[in-house]
Amino acid sequence: MTAPEMIPTSIVMKATALVKRYGHVTALDGMDFELRAAEILAVIGDNGAGKSSLIRALSGAAIPDSGEIVLDGRTVHFRRPIDARHAGIETVYQELAVAPAMSIAENLFLGREIRRAGFAGSALRMLDKKRMALESAGHMRELKIGIGAMTQAVETLSGGQRQGVAVARSAAFARHVVIMDEPTASLGVKEGMMVLELIRRVRDKGLSVVLVSHNMPHVFEIADRIHVARLGRRAAVLNPKAISMSDAVAVMTGAMRAEELPPEALS
Amino acid sequence: MLREEISRPADNWRERLPAVGTVGPLLALLVASAFFSAQSDRFLTGENLSLVLQQVMVVGVIAIGQTLIILTAGVDLSCGMVMALGGIVMTKLAAELGLPVPVAIACGIGVTTMFGLINGALVTAVKLPPFIVTLGTMNIAFAITQLYSDSQTVTEIPESMTALGATFEIGGTSIVYGVVLMLVLYLAAWFGLRETASGRHVYAVGNDPEAARLTGIATQRVLLGVYVIAGALYGVAALLSVARTGVGDPNAGQTENLDAITAVVLGGTSLFGGRGVVLGSLVGALIVGVFRNGLTLMGVSSVYQVLVTGVLVILAVATDQLSRRGAR
Repeated sequence: MTAPEMIPTSIVMKATALVKRYGHVTALDGMDFELRAAEILAVIGDNGAGKSSLIRALSGAAIPDSGEIVLDGRTVHFRRPIDARHAGIETVYQELAVAPAMSIAENLFLGREIRRAGFAGSALRMLDKKRMALESAGHMRELKIGIGAMTQAVETLSGGQRQGVAVARSAAFARHVVIMDEPTASLGVKEGMMVLELIRRVRDKGLSVVLVSHNMPHVFEIADRIHVARLGRRAAVLNPKAISMSDAVAVMTGAMRAEELPPEALS
Repeated sequence: MLREEISRPADNWRERLPAVGTVGPLLALLVASAFFSAQSDRFLTGENLSLVLQQVMVVGVIAIGQTLIILTAGVDLSCGMVMALGGIVMTKLAAELGLPVPVAIACGIGVTTMFGLINGALVTAVKLPPFIVTLGTMNIAFAITQLYSDSQTVTEIPESMTALGATFEIGGTSIVYGVVLMLVLYLAAWFGLRETASGRHVYAVGNDPEAARLTGIATQRVLLGVYVIAGALYGVAALLSVARTGVGDPNAGQTENLDAITAVVLGGTSLFGGRGVVLGSLVGALIVGVFRNGLTLMGVSSVYQVLVTGVLVILAVATDQLSRRGAR
């Protein structure tokens, strides 16, 4: 157990009592959330437990009706995904959000292109393709993604490699948090493992990762802590090293309450 | 192990496919030119080639706008009709209301740009399919053109309005200024699409609009911008058409309407969006022009020219479709 006074300094992102209603449906019903520095926090929950709504609120895709989100010690109000991005939060989506006919370098810098210096950049608005290719290669190398040519079109890559490009993009631009929404769901077994390895490397870079996944073996393999969402609230935060997969599922489905767990199973 | 998995190079032929896509049209143009020069001695003369360029300049400029729209996975069926309206507006304002020529031209281009804005707004804000929107505006533009002109050709337009139809000589071959303007516009579009962020965003939106949106690109703004720029280009094409014919013709743009789409598709731009090079559309326009011109020189009836154009389009789209299937 870590000393409680140590925790506040290491908290990167914290949400308190988030509420989000869609018509008569209450998606978030006072959800709390806490993310520490350089950890992989898995978010699990049954369908309708509020995990997507939580992620949408944290990534700026939805505005909570009430509640507070604090990032790096400051209260933030995200109105659009771009706000979260400017605050240093990047998101990787399940559906491989890349432009297939465009090159790896172009995909990495899509929407954040670097222009040339001087007249060519300011007046002609010319892109600095060389520098983007060079920096892309650097970002890919940092995560040990060994794709040779940055000018290669993304559609020539496999599904896992494409997701690798998406992960590299978020890791390159995130300053605090990378949110991964089911990043392995559309991949095969081997490619899924590859992406898990990448997620570890993103954490080892010092970034905090929020991993939403239905895949319990994946969650137990790489998560440092597990946030369990249930009925729009946080049911528990579990320590994957001290709890069995079936007990975690039991908490998730409501078959077991957090109070029934041994204290070391909670985190 | 991870490294080895990821660094597996893609199959060679697949990587080369896009290259075939850009070289193919040029090859087709060369083959067609070789064929017609074998058929007719008059084909490969400076005078005749200059004529082909002159015949192509109007559809060529329209095709730039059409390329931008097709790159976003849209299509503009109204291009020729909007151009005709622009031509009528600028000639009537100058010839009948006596407005200064630059003002009349600006008004004509303004009207076509407005149509681009309307198309773009309906596609982005109301989220209607471009095919339907432009089918509607095509008819609206045609009707307004007929009503406003009373279906009469506008004649006796000021001479300065047809200045772009004047020629200069290079090595004994006369070239129309309008052709130069067309080439400059192509180079500008090529540069913008290739070298600027906005240009790359056009490709990204056409590739996968959802992915583009998720990376933070203002996809609606990109789409709207593309339709507005296309509208402005139709206005320029209207000016070229007026310069070439010397009149404001309410029935202009009827062949150009579909020829522009044909040129873009022949030039290797995918109707599915996100792939293509704007210079290819110039090549595509030249292919159409060369076929028309060559078949005329051979004395083939114009009905067969239309037939050949139809076959060419289907061939080009089939190539696009098949190469896409191969790449998946």
